[in-house]
Amino acid sequence: MIRLAGVRKRYRGHGEVLAGVDLDVAAGRPVAVVGGNGAGKSTLLRIAAGCTAPTAGTVSGRPRVVGFLPGRFPASSRMPVRAYLHHLAALHGVPRADAGRDADELLDALGFTGDASAPVALLSTGNAQKVGLAQALTCRADLLVLDEPWSGLDATAAAALDLRLEAECARGAAMLLADHSGRAGALPGATVLRLADGVLTPAAMDAGTDAADGVQTVVELRCPGDPTDVLRALPPVAECWTVRGQLTVRVPAERGDALLAAALAAGCSVLAVWREEVR
Amino acid sequence: MSERAGGSPARTLAVAGYLADDVVRSQRYLLPLLVYVAVLGVLFGGDPGEPPGAWPASALALYPMAAWLAVIVANTEDPVQRTVTVAAAGGVVPVVTGTLLVGLAGDLLLVALPMGWPVVFGGHPYPPSVLLLGGVAHLACAVTGTAVGLLCARPLVERIGWSFCLGTAIVVVTAVQPWLPPVGVAVGALAALGPPPFAAAVLSLVLALGAAAVVWTVERRR
Repeated sequence: MIRLAGVRKRYRGHGEVLAGVDLDVAAGRPVAVVGGNGAGKSTLLRIAAGCTAPTAGTVSGRPRVVGFLPGRFPASSRMPVRAYLHHLAALHGVPRADAGRDADELLDALGFTGDASAPVALLSTGNAQKVGLAQALTCRADLLVLDEPWSGLDATAAAALDLRLEAECARGAAMLLADHSGRAGALPGATVLRLADGVLTPAAMDAGTDAADGVQTVVELRCPGDPTDVLRALPPVAECWTVRGQLTVRVPAERGDALLAAALAAGCSVLAVWREEVR
Repeated sequence: MSERAGGSPARTLAVAGYLADDVVRSQRYLLPLLVYVAVLGVLFGGDPGEPPGAWPASALALYPMAAWLAVIVANTEDPVQRTVTVAAAGGVVPVVTGTLLVGLAGDLLLVALPMGWPVVFGGHPYPPSVLLLGGVAHLACAVTGTAVGLLCARPLVERIGWSFCLGTAIVVVTAVQPWLPPVGVAVGALAALGPPPFAAAVLSLVLALGAAAVVWTVERRR
């Protein structure tokens, strides 16, 4: 579907953010991009969506209708929700009545609690995010580019979004996501890529695993002291995050035992262990 | 894909409709409009006399007002919101073209006021040839203003304070040169009741298209 070849992006004063990215996004096969803050995920997504041109390299096969959700959906629109979605359907070039009906259903499913006749600027963060999702997902786009789509959503809304994204994939939409939550990698058929130093690598590779064997062990830990100190005592992990003081790490399955031993040795207590298919 | 309605022209018009709606809701057009109407009130309030009457002055007043309006249209969206609009419209070209269209539509409204006022309330005869001269000259000034406004607004100039300084500087320097097309020439033609300054009007349109092309180049590199 859409193909990025040798894409580079340089900003004046910031150096090169993307240093030769090659990426294919096929219909129905979501691609999730992970990486640290400022790694260039949003820049990559903006280039894929056609908001900005790369400094070098090519983007080919971008379809006519693209649904795009930026990293922080702006709360600056003075337009009421309904009028905004109406205009955006026209911009996407899709019939407004269909898009409007679909948007109402999607906002319902996501648990939108704001006033649809109020300006987008007055909505709460979560509700504004739901409006952003509605404009991107209800245009029957052949390419969806979603920057942190789960951010600001509560658990119920996040689960509803999972279902909707699965349905969009099943419909045959190509999908490129940036994600910190780990949910994008759980979409059926998803590929997870890591963006670091301006280039993309398969996400499991940087933990030293065989990319073909994508079974990973996820371990939830409660650790004494600073989680970053604990991480230094552990073997390299593919991914980690902390929620309410609990550290969760992800490693290739064959390294699970070594990780557990190291975690226990570091004085952590193991709260949960489970396995996940990554690729 | 092919069964869907709406090609690129339809999406460009959709952008124009969306931006116009946003500008109207923002009410930012009200201040320049009030200033403009007040200036026209002073110019045409008494008896401006035989044609061209106050037209050279109203054409000069129209120039900065059209630039101000273009800045408002170009700046109406937040930069992040702009990325959503660009992706939705299918590229930078329909968004920049839509911005230009809204600016030009605003020009037509701004031109209609000084054209209609002396004809309706003036009490002096305005033959068609004089109306043509007035219309072409005012349009040349307005469209040049739109070009200046586009070059002084986002994405070229991010901060509204610099937009104001730069726009004022360009307008002051270019408006007072009677030999300089298109504004100086158009105002000169009005004052002398000469032939309609078609060349100046065409040049103003070229300038506006050129400004749009510059905006397009900068916007897609952001």
